[in-house]
Amino acid sequence: MQKSTSLRPTDWINRLIDWIDVRVGIRQIVSYALHVSIPRSAHTFYLGGITLFFFGVQAITGILLALYYHPTPEAAYDSILFIMNEVNFGWLIRSIHAWSANLMIVFCVLHLLRVAIQGAYRPPREMTWLVGIALLLLTLGFGFTGYLLPWDERAFWATTVGTEIAGSVPLIGGAIQTFLRGGPDLSALTLSRFFDVHVLVLPVTLAGALLIHLLFIHQQGLADPEERDE
Amino acid sequence: MAETGSVYDAISRRRFLKWALGFSVVATIAGVVVPIIGYLWPPARQSSAGGGRVLIGATKDLPVGQAKVLPVNDKPAIVVNTAQGGIKAFSAICTHLGCVVEWNQSKQIIQCPCHDGRFNPTTGAVISGPPPAPLPPVRVAIENDQIYAGGA
Repeated sequence: MQKSTSLRPTDWINRLIDWIDVRVGIRQIVSYALHVSIPRSAHTFYLGGITLFFFGVQAITGILLALYYHPTPEAAYDSILFIMNEVNFGWLIRSIHAWSANLMIVFCVLHLLRVAIQGAYRPPREMTWLVGIALLLLTLGFGFTGYLLPWDERAFWATTVGTEIAGSVPLIGGAIQTFLRGGPDLSALTLSRFFDVHVLVLPVTLAGALLIHLLFIHQQGLADPEERDE
Repeated sequence: MAETGSVYDAISRRRFLKWALGFSVVATIAGVVVPIIGYLWPPARQSSAGGGRVLIGATKDLPVGQAKVLPVNDKPAIVVNTAQGGIKAFSAICTHLGCVVEWNQSKQIIQCPCHDGRFNPTTGAVISGPPPAPLPPVRVAIENDQIYAGGA
């Protein structure tokens, strides 16, 4: 039936996709993931997408940095110097990670402002808004824990001040501070905790919350800013 | 006439744009993938801080009573030619708050500019000021009138 000699590479790819599609309906899944209804009046809906892009950059560069980083007080700063001075493109990967971290927070906040100004958080989209706030807090958590990891003077004292602010909460402040630091003072235990939270707890939590956030958007479509005054 | 026509047929506008787009896409992907592969490949020098020794200079350029602050394996070190103990080298990072120490020519001591911590140039011991510990020594070797510092 098929003239197999005349098959082009794209035909082979299509046949492979067909093979998967018959079994798990991959075309429907991809179509659902790619298509979301966007109102014609949309002009500012890219801010969340840019934030998502920066999260992807952070994931890739973060995985790369973890290859050479040592989360111990003795070796942490030396491993940073090693990445910056010895590893091929290490300076590039670390700088991208640092810049992208800042830009991710900037676009997170711009995204929040846009949703707030256009009233896109209103019913039926309250849950997307709440998950979005959780995503913002998780992103700030990334910033707070990541800042300690170079283990230089600035990192050490920034985390000292940051955990002392947590310690000023009435009644339970002292307990929060001890919990964050893993002891009464900043030590090797603090660095282990922050590293663990930065590379294990937060990425998994943020990825999960992000999936829920995107699922809601795909279920509801985006809000039309011109429909706000009904 | 026929020749020019054939040239236009060979590279149509659509075909040219396809090539331009394809080149842009490939160049962009290469720009991302090449640094990542380079990064994954282990660097030539296995470690930085415990790395090899560094040539400081000739012994005649460092007369008795003078000192130099310079990077040794990415960290500042002070190399001093002392009257009592010959050429010595120490970490130039003050043990108090991490400022880089300086050589005080008139007093013949190592001095931290931040909080006036003073160190003995022969032993690295604290003379006065806030530093809690002496400056860690750095290994020095002299071969053929050349001074080397660092290394194991």
